[in-house]
Amino acid sequence: MFRRILIANRGEIALRVLRACRTLGVEAVVAYSEADRDSLPVQLADEAICIGPADAKRSYLSAPALISAAVITGCDAVHPGYGFLSEDEGFAEVVRAHDLTFIGPSADVLDRFASKEGTRRLLGSHGLATIPGSDGMLRDDSHALDEADRIGYPVLIKPSAGGGGKGMRMVRTPRELESAIRICRSEAKSAFGDDSLYLEKWLDDNRHVEVQVAVDRFGRGIHLGERDCSVQRRHQKILEEAPTPALGPAARAELAERAVRAVVAAGYENIGTLEFLVDRDGNAYFIEINCRIQVEHPVTEMLTGIDMVALQMRIAAGEPLGLTQSDITFSGHAIEFRINAEDPAHDFRPGAGIVSRYHAPGGPGVRMDSHLYEGYEVPPFYDSLLGKLIVWGPDRETAIARGRAALDELLIEGLTTNVAIHQALLGNESFLEGHMTTNLLDRVGSGAFLAAAARA
Amino acid sequence: MPQGSPEPRESKVRQPRDTDRDANRDAARGAAREADLTAIDSLIDRLVPALTAKLGSTHLGELEVREGDWRIRLRRPATAGNWNGELRRSSDRAGRSGASHDAHGGTRSGGAASTSADAHRVPTPGGSNGSSPHPGGSQPPRPAHEDETRRVATSPAVGVFHTGARSTVGTRVRQGDTLGHVDVLGVREDVLSPADGLVGELLTQAGTAVEYGQELVVIALPTSAEAVR
Repeated sequence: MFRRILIANRGEIALRVLRACRTLGVEAVVAYSEADRDSLPVQLADEAICIGPADAKRSYLSAPALISAAVITGCDAVHPGYGFLSEDEGFAEVVRAHDLTFIGPSADVLDRFASKEGTRRLLGSHGLATIPGSDGMLRDDSHALDEADRIGYPVLIKPSAGGGGKGMRMVRTPRELESAIRICRSEAKSAFGDDSLYLEKWLDDNRHVEVQVAVDRFGRGIHLGERDCSVQRRHQKILEEAPTPALGPAARAELAERAVRAVVAAGYENIGTLEFLVDRDGNAYFIEINCRIQVEHPVTEMLTGIDMVALQMRIAAGEPLGLTQSDITFSGHAIEFRINAEDPAHDFRPGAGIVSRYHAPGGPGVRMDSHLYEGYEVPPFYDSLLGKLIVWGPDRETAIARGRAALDELLIEGLTTNVAIHQALLGNESFLEGHMTTNLLDRVGSGAFLAAAARA
Repeated sequence: MPQGSPEPRESKVRQPRDTDRDANRDAARGAAREADLTAIDSLIDRLVPALTAKLGSTHLGELEVREGDWRIRLRRPATAGNWNGELRRSSDRAGRSGASHDAHGGTRSGGAASTSADAHRVPTPGGSNGSSPHPGGSQPPRPAHEDETRRVATSPAVGVFHTGARSTVGTRVRQGDTLGHVDVLGVREDVLSPADGLVGELLTQAGTAVEYGQELVVIALPTSAEAVR
């Protein structure tokens, strides 16, 4: 295991990694920008080092600043968290070149899985069904029109790089396609520096189900079950749960086993998440892999009792998994609510400001992963995630009941949060019946969704 | 794709095998030279624009690509604006693994010893800072050593501080003069004087690991009498 690691991230995930370090007996150095000087991870760290100004390009996205910080503080590994440089093979390579360990897949593995389109083909060849899509990247408009005709409308335009819904558009007609491609190209170019796009067939009423896997350096892999992330707003997940209500126990196990077999055969290493779209008939199509710890990993931790960050660090340190598939058991039901500083009444406009009062809920099966404290000023420069409320119950009904109670108890004053949308979800019939699809919120619009919940 | 592994890839520009070496030596030399020139042209045409774009988009300090017997390395200078490309044979191992890695080794050992005093924030489990964090303040605080008679030059980066010719106490400096530099993995980031004045005390010793924004050198502002003179 490592002696001392640099946490190259901020907010709740920096705190989460710090907690894993404490339980493993690893010293943690937190790298922070000037805007995060007063943040909780900085205060709790064994050591904290300022790496640059608020602008992420010169701090959390600056490989030289992060690596220099790791070197001068005597670290032997770097944890990238999620977002920022977490899946950047160039960063992973430079970390390695400075005799530090990148806590995640090696640069070679990241490189192999960097292109979404290439990964679909690779894992398709190892037994995963993929959504019908374009043959490679779209060369120009006429190529796009031909491919869309061949696949059949509606189609989803997707960027090869990045994530988070940027550069993505669903189109139903050839007329819409050309202008949507222009918009997606410019969005993808500015967000990821790469405007390569491809097409996928759009499945109406689909569900988003993902499988958590872990593969050690010796090619031994296990899965840790699936998570249902169907509740989204414009391709951004806002609530995740496990097990998925979309599939029965046998289908869930079969999907997870197929996923882990495919990634082991394709040479994946470390923890990762395979995302699938599940259609109305329960067919699961592989869409992409995330080569990092995910925001929603606590859902899996609640069901399995496994510390995912500690597992990730052990694998990166070259230790064998020490677990076989039969050691992994799944108990009960867990739901995660992403608590964001955004205003659901005003098109989810992100906010910033000082947290004047804060109280995290408690009780059986309730967990709050958050970096908030009273008096903390949420800086305006980064994403709007304030924390994650995770509830567990022996069954879905109990988890939902605990979720309601915990959301009511959660107190965050000084900022507008999206708690109302979660409360509305827990009163929504489709959600309560477990029938939610990825268009649950976008179909009616979040405003109408909230209004309907208020009337009910 | 960027390649930084210490083992060069197998050469695509094949040299003749040992068995027919004698007969083909001269012809091979000519051919190899031709191939080298072609390789250089091709690398420059194809790779430099792509690498420049990649370097720009990743914000890495340095990128290296190998192909055949050749490798090309781009390094972002400390002060952005101009680019240096280096082209050299793989057999010339001095470049990357020599200079820059030695510098890192030095940084590491030098830093480890001195970090605790300067870049270190004291952990505060149960301490007053830890239990009652003070609110607000995303703005960097004004350097503690500044007042109306003096300004402080701060670190432009995280790395190891080195003094320069103009950092001797008593030296007269102008705003923007280089007082020293911070070594960031072998790349210099200049420490600039924030004002006209006289170099006062060094708040951080040369050779010390420093964080971004750390106070380094006091600049005593000229008194009104001096300013007139």
